[in-house]
Amino acid sequence: MIFGFIPVGIAYGIMAQQAGLLGGETIAMSIFVFAGASQMMAVGMYGQGAGFAAIILATLMLNLRHLIMSTCVMNRIKPCGIGFKLLAAFGVTDESFALFTTESESRATPWFFLGLITVTYTSWVTGSFLGAIAATLLPSILSASLGIALYAMFIGLMIPGVRENFHLGFLVVLTAVVNSALSQVIPFSWALILSTLLCAGVGVVFVSLNEEETEEL
Amino acid sequence: MRAEILALILGMTAVTYIPRAIPAVLTDKLHFRARVEKFLKLIPFTAMSALVFPSIFFVDESHPYIGVIGGLAAIVLAWRKLPLAVTVLGSIGAVMVVYLIGQ
Repeated sequence: MIFGFIPVGIAYGIMAQQAGLLGGETIAMSIFVFAGASQMMAVGMYGQGAGFAAIILATLMLNLRHLIMSTCVMNRIKPCGIGFKLLAAFGVTDESFALFTTESESRATPWFFLGLITVTYTSWVTGSFLGAIAATLLPSILSASLGIALYAMFIGLMIPGVRENFHLGFLVVLTAVVNSALSQVIPFSWALILSTLLCAGVGVVFVSLNEEETEEL
Repeated sequence: MRAEILALILGMTAVTYIPRAIPAVLTDKLHFRARVEKFLKLIPFTAMSALVFPSIFFVDESHPYIGVIGGLAAIVLAWRKLPLAVTVLGSIGAVMVVYLIGQ
């Protein structure tokens, strides 16, 4: 599993070097921020000459989805103390959220989440380090190909659920269409949040989850 | 470390951690009904789908088919129940092959 995260970290490290960040700055950002998509977007914007306020505002908008994701995670570790939750909150990323909330209820324990964020955090920082030092060494074809890693990971996380549930598959396709259409008319980060919420709301009506049904009985 | 980058990193740390931490503080006060619970369980799938589409088509701005091929490779590998790491590395490999052929 670790190997899934390292390529994304390497891709970020390379992007940061190309944008003109120093090695230490590239790694410090990964240590403190720990948000793959936001960091890639931020270094991309920095490379294009965007200012401080614009980058911070874009990061905030892109991260509003973590409000929803963290709510899902916290709902699953409800009995834990506030200290543990505040620590766990730092580790809520697209990847840890996706892995944790698609895991069965019995396996998705607070300790499982703690292990998950330890692995994802370590591999994120390691990947960023490797990307920062290897940026000039890697063949250009390899560095160009690493951009797909983030998307391949999300697809790999979605497919197992979709494979077992036709309605869920339909919902995923519906969301893809809605978000693609919305992105044409409103900024990318707003389209992302709006289509996520809108389609999940529509999904409540027609998708049946086996786990859910047994819980209600 | 340059001062402007340090400020950027600290600012990003704040706007990244705060949305993650708010639910940690509020969760004890919230009790979800069955429908809300279902809504929260569907969000992972709608969020991931929205993160992938349409962005995957712009992974190489000038060649949209790069995203299509990498995405298809990931779908096929994951559908065959291969581990996540194989799916990711396989997708990277497929894209590399396309770049090599295109050279």
